[in-house]
Amino acid sequence: MFKATLPATALALGTTVLCALPAGAESFRWAGTTDPQTMDPHAVNATPVLSFLNNVYEGLVRRGPDMAIQPSLSTSWEALPDGAGWRFSLREGVTFHDGAPFNADDVIFSYERAISEPSDVKSWFANITEVVKVDDTTVDFMTTAPDPLFPGSIANFMILDADWAAENDAEVPARDAENHATRNTNGTGPFVLTARDPGIRTELTPNEAWWDTAEHNLTEAVFTPIGNPATGLAALLSGEIDFISPIPLQDVEQVESRDGFKVLTGLETRVIMLGFGHDHDALRYSEDITEENPFLDVQVREAVAKAIDVDTIDRVIMRGAAEPASQLLPAGLSGYSEDHADRPEFDPEAAKELLAAAGYPDGFSFGLMCPNDRYINDEAVCRAVASMLARIGLDASVNAMPVRGYWDELRADNFDMYMLGWSPGTFDAEHPIRFLAHTPTERLGTWNFGGYSNPQIDDMLAPIQQEIDAEARQDMLEEVAGILQDDVAYVPLYTEPLIWAMKENIDVVQRPDNFFMLRWVEVN
Amino acid sequence: MARFILKRLVQSIFVMLAVAFLAFSLFRFVGDPISQMTGVETSVEDQERLREELGLNDPFVVQFIRFTGDILRGDFGYSFRTREPIDAMLLTRLPATLELGTVALMISLVAGIPAGVYTALRPRGIFSQSILIGTLIGVSIPTFVIGILLIFLFGVQLGWLPTYGRGGTVEIGWWRSSFLTVEGWRSLVLPALTLGLFQLTLTMRLVRAQMMEVMRTDHIRFAIARGVPWRSIRYRHALANTMIPVITIIGLQFGGVIAFSIVTESVFQWPGMGLLFLESIRFVDIPVMSVYLVVIAFFFVLINLLVDLLYFAIDPRLRVRESA
Repeated sequence: MFKATLPATALALGTTVLCALPAGAESFRWAGTTDPQTMDPHAVNATPVLSFLNNVYEGLVRRGPDMAIQPSLSTSWEALPDGAGWRFSLREGVTFHDGAPFNADDVIFSYERAISEPSDVKSWFANITEVVKVDDTTVDFMTTAPDPLFPGSIANFMILDADWAAENDAEVPARDAENHATRNTNGTGPFVLTARDPGIRTELTPNEAWWDTAEHNLTEAVFTPIGNPATGLAALLSGEIDFISPIPLQDVEQVESRDGFKVLTGLETRVIMLGFGHDHDALRYSEDITEENPFLDVQVREAVAKAIDVDTIDRVIMRGAAEPASQLLPAGLSGYSEDHADRPEFDPEAAKELLAAAGYPDGFSFGLMCPNDRYINDEAVCRAVASMLARIGLDASVNAMPVRGYWDELRADNFDMYMLGWSPGTFDAEHPIRFLAHTPTERLGTWNFGGYSNPQIDDMLAPIQQEIDAEARQDMLEEVAGILQDDVAYVPLYTEPLIWAMKENIDVVQRPDNFFMLRWVEVN
Repeated sequence: MARFILKRLVQSIFVMLAVAFLAFSLFRFVGDPISQMTGVETSVEDQERLREELGLNDPFVVQFIRFTGDILRGDFGYSFRTREPIDAMLLTRLPATLELGTVALMISLVAGIPAGVYTALRPRGIFSQSILIGTLIGVSIPTFVIGILLIFLFGVQLGWLPTYGRGGTVEIGWWRSSFLTVEGWRSLVLPALTLGLFQLTLTMRLVRAQMMEVMRTDHIRFAIARGVPWRSIRYRHALANTMIPVITIIGLQFGGVIAFSIVTESVFQWPGMGLLFLESIRFVDIPVMSVYLVVIAFFFVLINLLVDLLYFAIDPRLRVRESA
């Protein structure tokens, strides 16, 4: 009797399971703190949007798990003679999700859309003069000057179908009112957008006609934004979601201690640093020195660098998940200077001597501006920095505020010292030089709030951008890294960690740019 | 009657204008919407152009007049962040908030009124005392802590109820309802409890205090002296008199429930208007914040009006005065 029923039950169970989950593939539910605010790949140049849309749209090139540039909609590319531009050979036989074929016209259209007035990704094409269709599968991007980094800088330049955009009046990104592309997509990527409920739920299903071999085993992927970290953690631990990014550092132990869950910790490409008011004549928030700005003296800046014990900050506040940083970009990225990999040694005594030599043996008080909801434990780190500086006599009053008002304050020069995190969008050393080290102008040095200015660096930016020879370029980058360290233009603290939490049976690839790619997700 | 309603509606316009003005003047200090709308690489000139286009460079008064003018013409504008039309945004979020608020209010009434009556009639009973102490703890703990505790107990440890979101919803026209599916009701339990707990305590204590006071009044004493049955004294004479202030407070509380469900909605990722407002603050989405506050002000005005109308229904004296 028992023997007879068992196989029948097993069979019954087997069929149910098969019905629910065809061929070992799975539905995947994931959560993040921020909903991508639009489905338009050219409307906002921000990680939540670009990361999400990289699952749906594709560029001419893409980044692999190790951030290396790989062919995508373009199979190969080569520099045109005399640095006149780049020639991209397009992949044949690729179709958009609606079945329309992909060709050179779509690339040209997408370029024009990306440089249109309402686009937020224009900066990627600052050096492009025009894009020329050579034939149906070849496109030339002409540059004003040799641009060796161009192919690597357009991994997030996503291609739309020209006809689809025209039919739906979405030829330019929405600026005022939304347009069709704000909520609908038609890409070539591994996933198709099947439902979009802004701020609530977004559903994707695999693109059966994708040109590449799928490495994931998903049948469906559902994204829910969960803004409150405690709610997100509860949703994971109760099994309602499979994956969440990020989780607060202090919750890591709780997740790891539970059966069936794991935490993936890695380093993001973001360096947290301190900046100074290089162009301030006087301190703004000092109680004792109001006539001058001691930070203009490189010895004082060096004293600050030497007084901060980054290892302790990492161990205590970042739970050992961060990595001390020496430059404006993390170790290992292209253009990183190995010769300048050492941080200033932690040495409060030497710092005190430097202060005395600069004429401030008793220190002084000043204001330190910090965000309190932008970087991991940002305010706690600022308070730790303040207490470390107090030991050499520098009395920093910490002013922490939400990021929504922070940049405004920095632009208004309301700081003596400030905290900044920087992730180089091109993953190359030229990026922080362009935005943080170059003297501020309309287009360059736009995040150089302290107005650091060194003509030597200004003069070197263009040659760095245009140098084709890798070795010569690296030499220049090394030189700039040296100047920035000698000037103590910034005090780099550490590279920020990435903390992703998921169920034990989920395998993902954690890319250092904090992009979450569904095409590498496996549910076991 | 019609004149009374009309007068109230005209007053409400001024209330809403005042709210809009206050909201508008405060939002200038929330932060910079432009840096929230653009990426890090956006050039200064592009940011300036966007600022100009959105009219953020205009003087405060000009911005305010434009805003109220648009609202009066029925144009609620577009979200800075998602560029969706705001009226549609609020309409998709409205059912979630109203349903949550209604269930929370029901919980507070169904449990609060009987508990209030009971504790008033037996003020010294052990059970009464424990209810009072229990609810005191209930109001003393902040809403978000109660929410998190409930989530971790019933969602994570016991695994009985969902921890976030609305679960299964059914769309009836544009109204997305949780009431029609089991999953929807399951998702409603924890947030409604969290939101309703404070109201429950308030309702109970109010009913208790009123009831005890009414029981001491002359007409109840005379009723007792006349030998009216206890049952009739308590539930017909005393309770009815208790309800006048209770309805006022509960009515205003419902406005409060709608307006302050923000915390509960955030803890449970409940996709209502409160969560939308919170997200809008985070991203300095000024148009959404402003419209939200005006709509909430409208709710308060409307609820006040309804409460006044309910007085007419409950209190015969008012009807007499009106007709006289």
